[in-house]
Amino acid sequence: MAIPVLMPRQGQSVETCILGEWLKKKGDVVKAGDILFSYETDKASFEEDAKADGILLDVFFAEGDEVPVLVNVAVIGAIGESVDEFRPGGQVAATAPETQDTVAETVAAPEVKKVAEPSGKVKISPRAKNTAEKMGVDYQILQGSGPDGRIIERDIEAAAQVMPKLTPLAQEKAKAESLKPGETASGLGGKTIAKDLISYNPVYGDDFEVKKLTNMRKLIAKAMLTSLQNSAQLTHHMSADARKIMALRKKFKKVLDAGQISQNITINDLVCFAVIKALKKYPQVNSHFIGDSMRWFKKVHLGLAVDTDRGLMVPVVKNADDLSLEGLSAQLQAIAGQCRKGNVSPELLAPEAASFTISNLGNYGVEMFTPVINIPQTAILGVCTIVPRPKDLGDGVYGFVPMMGLSLTYDHQALDGGEATLFLREIKEQIENLTAPFPFPQ
Amino acid sequence: MPKSQFIDPSEVRKAGEITFSPVPVNQYNKSVEEEKANFSNEDLLRIYRDMVVIREFETMLNLVKIRGDYNGIAYDHPGPAHLSIGQEAAAVGMAYTLGVEDFIFGSHRSHGEILAKGLSAIAKLSDEQLMQVMESHFDGITFAPVKNRHSGTVKELAVKFLIYGTLAEIFARETGFNKGLGGSMHAFFTPFGVYPNNAIVGGSGDIAVGAALYKKVNRKPGIVVANIGDASMACGPVWEGLAFATMDQFNELWEGNMKGGLPLIINIMNNQYGMGGQTCGETAGYNIAARIGAGLNADQLHAERVDGYNPLAVIDAYKRKRKILEEKRGPVLLDVLTYRYSGHSPSDASSYRSKEEVEAWEAQDSIAWFGRELVKAGVSTEEKLTGIKGDTISLMESSLKLAIDYDISPRMDMAKYPNLIGEMMFGNESVDRMEDRTPEVNHPMAENPRVQQLAKKERFAFDENGKAHSKIKTYAYRDGIFEAIIDRFYKDPTLIAYGEENRDWGGAFAVYRGLTEALPYHRLFNSPIAEGAIVGTAIGYAMCGGRVIPEIMYCDFLGRCGDQVFNQLPKWQAMSGNVIKMPVVLRVSVGSKYGAQHSQDWTALTAQIPGLKVVFPATPYDAKGLMNAALQGTDPVIFFESQRLYDMGEMFHKGGVPEGYYEIPIGEPDIKREGKDVTILTIGATLYRAMEAADILQEKYGVSAEVIDARSLSPFNYEPVLASVKKTGRIVISGDASTRGSFMKEMAQTISELAFDDLDAPPVVVGSRNWITPAYELENSFFPCAEWLIDAIHEKIVPLKGHVVKNNFTSAEQIRRNKLGV
Repeated sequence: MAIPVLMPRQGQSVETCILGEWLKKKGDVVKAGDILFSYETDKASFEEDAKADGILLDVFFAEGDEVPVLVNVAVIGAIGESVDEFRPGGQVAATAPETQDTVAETVAAPEVKKVAEPSGKVKISPRAKNTAEKMGVDYQILQGSGPDGRIIERDIEAAAQVMPKLTPLAQEKAKAESLKPGETASGLGGKTIAKDLISYNPVYGDDFEVKKLTNMRKLIAKAMLTSLQNSAQLTHHMSADARKIMALRKKFKKVLDAGQISQNITINDLVCFAVIKALKKYPQVNSHFIGDSMRWFKKVHLGLAVDTDRGLMVPVVKNADDLSLEGLSAQLQAIAGQCRKGNVSPELLAPEAASFTISNLGNYGVEMFTPVINIPQTAILGVCTIVPRPKDLGDGVYGFVPMMGLSLTYDHQALDGGEATLFLREIKEQIENLTAPFPFPQ
Repeated sequence: MPKSQFIDPSEVRKAGEITFSPVPVNQYNKSVEEEKANFSNEDLLRIYRDMVVIREFETMLNLVKIRGDYNGIAYDHPGPAHLSIGQEAAAVGMAYTLGVEDFIFGSHRSHGEILAKGLSAIAKLSDEQLMQVMESHFDGITFAPVKNRHSGTVKELAVKFLIYGTLAEIFARETGFNKGLGGSMHAFFTPFGVYPNNAIVGGSGDIAVGAALYKKVNRKPGIVVANIGDASMACGPVWEGLAFATMDQFNELWEGNMKGGLPLIINIMNNQYGMGGQTCGETAGYNIAARIGAGLNADQLHAERVDGYNPLAVIDAYKRKRKILEEKRGPVLLDVLTYRYSGHSPSDASSYRSKEEVEAWEAQDSIAWFGRELVKAGVSTEEKLTGIKGDTISLMESSLKLAIDYDISPRMDMAKYPNLIGEMMFGNESVDRMEDRTPEVNHPMAENPRVQQLAKKERFAFDENGKAHSKIKTYAYRDGIFEAIIDRFYKDPTLIAYGEENRDWGGAFAVYRGLTEALPYHRLFNSPIAEGAIVGTAIGYAMCGGRVIPEIMYCDFLGRCGDQVFNQLPKWQAMSGNVIKMPVVLRVSVGSKYGAQHSQDWTALTAQIPGLKVVFPATPYDAKGLMNAALQGTDPVIFFESQRLYDMGEMFHKGGVPEGYYEIPIGEPDIKREGKDVTILTIGATLYRAMEAADILQEKYGVSAEVIDARSLSPFNYEPVLASVKKTGRIVISGDASTRGSFMKEMAQTISELAFDDLDAPPVVVGSRNWITPAYELENSFFPCAEWLIDAIHEKIVPLKGHVVKNNFTSAEQIRRNKLGV
């Protein structure tokens, strides 16, 4: 069975590649792994190797041709096997009949008919042949409407009319992004390539600037989307009395300023410290959900969302439950710094690396949010700003107490609401009852 | 036809008899001694010298042909050499009295005549005139080789020039009199009054008549001599020429000082053989060729037989006959008896005559005899004659050496200039008038009744509402041709027109109606029904410098002037090295309704011949513009018209046919209707059937046809057609000619070659059937019509939805018809 050799799709944005050099010729014997041809994108050169043993039965493009990605470049098979079905344009024309009704009924546009079996000997006018090549129509499979069954130009035009005018990639992209073919069609045979797709809105027309995504952004986008698509997320909100934690912070600040300690211990450090304690009590939250099973981690590998110039990063502090408050604070500070500098080890950024993540937007005044789980982790804690809220101080006396908002998003696949609530309450408790791990110098 | 001539039955039915005057035969009987009163010794020696020059020239060529060597100078000449050894006295006698302004025309055996006339001209021209002639011919190219090596008198130099120019021409050298494009059988040199010699037997028989007509009509001095062989007296064109030359109208109808006969001598160089056929006793019946004159007119052409073995007898005849011509009593026929010792050509084994016969003539050899007579009369000594012979041999040797030297006498460099001959085919000139003088006309053009009538006609076929004007009110195709022609008659004084029924009747198709009133007889006259002479005389007329419109009425009569149209008209410009112009517009009308011999379109026959321009307008606008262009040029144009068209108004050119002068360039097709799906290219009147087909295609099948009118066949600019085919991808070529071998086929082939990649189907030719043209009532099954065009498109190019064919245009049918030859 002959198999086609595709022009590989070398990356998300590559529409077409330039065929560099054929290292095998039509008729050559090839073995799987033999390099067939070189090709290049506008950025780099690559080589494509054979995926099967056999004879290189036919090649459809010459060196220097611009070839749309995912289009057949060659065919490998056994001697005598037909290659016509793989000829570019063929598959497309084969889908023609579905839409043939849309062909305007003029004398120059007959019905598109196909021959059952291409005989190899095709009767076609020179003009039709040229037009076919220009439009990328596979005339071998057409039934001519000219005298004696000759394929004439109108047959090609009709076939081209019912043929999609978009490259495979463009079709995919148009569908995914609700785009439309623009005025320019810069692909082979006047096809619209993905680059030509435009988003045209009746309100603002095309009054916008398209900004290319950075790789970082693309990674984030993908991670976020994957998360929402692959988990059942919901968020519970709760708030914790922050008086104690604030007082602690104050004290640490004071001793830091006095030079009695070297580590600046922040509210975030204290929250993390509290959360680690809670996680130790609720190991089912310190976990990964992987479809038919879960990983319950023995240690807490704490991910911390860090806002950088290049975008959101979530580095991990391994074995965070082994650390003292001071040690935790130092490590959190170190990895955040590495992220901002851009020299963080990629291993520490992998979503799989952390067992739980904290995202702290408190500094920004966010009162409540729904963080997105860094799957396969099962939950993420959003830490919100501290706002004074009225509280029963006892004896019917109400006063304003600083309360810290906590938003826990969890994967309902892994955890039930009850568990999540209990866990969140545990965090609240830990925060409200946090004590200094060491006696403060007086 | 003229009403002034009354054919009285009681006169013409009277009994009576034709009487003839005796035809003189060899009556001259003076001795040299007696002629000394009329010739100086120098004159007589020059006659001797001229004969010796011819003899040696021909002997040299004979030796070059049969031995490849002349006096140790080796050369191989593969071309022809029809020699006239033995005929020298006839040639010299003919030429001796002729002035430079007297023209001679000859045959394939005319080296002797060229030299005799050239030597005669040299004797008569002053040194300054000779230098001017030699320096100016091709800017001195022919002159340079002899000039550079000469010491002596200008006349001696001119003799060298004459020998060299002729020899180089025979050897096809670029330095020859006609750049080597004429060769042995066609060499000539007009500055010495030597006009084209002709490789077609009797070819000069009508052309020379046209030259005499030119002299007469344009009041030019000099006479014209047609040197034709005794065997050519059997040729139709010679008889036609004689019939034309002896028309009564010259004396009966031509007015004022135009009254009188043509200044023409038909000089039969009677060497008594036509190749191997003996005219007296075998292939002719006249016995003595002078007898022919007796049958041609009441003057019996003043015919006589002259002893061409005595140069003085021939000179005597010429002196007497010139007087007759000067009295406008020509033409004259001379039967100059002579004999050639050489064969028809070097390959001739003389199997048709005995050795004894040749020896008997050699025993009476004119040069030997004349030499003896000169010595006898004390004009010369033997030594002097031997000296002349010796000088002549030296002259030949040096001329031969020059002519065969490839450095001095190169051939045309076709490798370096591959288009050199192509550039000679046409002059492509634009000339208002061939001569600057006031044209002779009967009244100002504005007073012409036809011109006044045309002023009232509608110059566009339709009114502003698109309704056709009545036929009678519509300015038609024939009016377009008329306007162009009358305009030129008032511009070019040399322009004349003739053909059958051209005067009084106004032409069979009324194109010339009104011209009779405008022009004196000598500018518009009726010819005999002799198409060969009509075209042949026009060629001679144009060759001498006049513009002429011969008309042969039906296209079917082209065969009657085949030699003139195929061999003469197209050839002389290039064969002369572009010295000669050929401003001839030959009007040919394609018939209809008149059956097999009056309805044929033979455009392909003329377009196939290199050297002719061929046009076939289909609308009044195009007819006038193309006729203007044809008449403005100096190249021969075959102007096809169609009897389907004469009363057609202008349907295409917005604003109608302009009243003023305009030209449509010959060779440019015209898009008559724009379309995008199929191109229909038509030749001639088929345009209108194509338009009808285009309407049906649009209305019934939604096919938009582009209709292109070829207008010209040769030259033809394919670019607009190719552009159209690029657009439509499909083309049908249609015309009224029978399909096989037609010009439509030529176009189809060329388009296939040039537009192959643009074609969606092969170019399809829809011509007439390969049959006789049937009666008018059956013409629809013979000529292409709209229905055929649509059927052909459906069957061969693009099937039309819902179309049902009525005619068989399938491939199988095409094969079948070809198998049968129908």
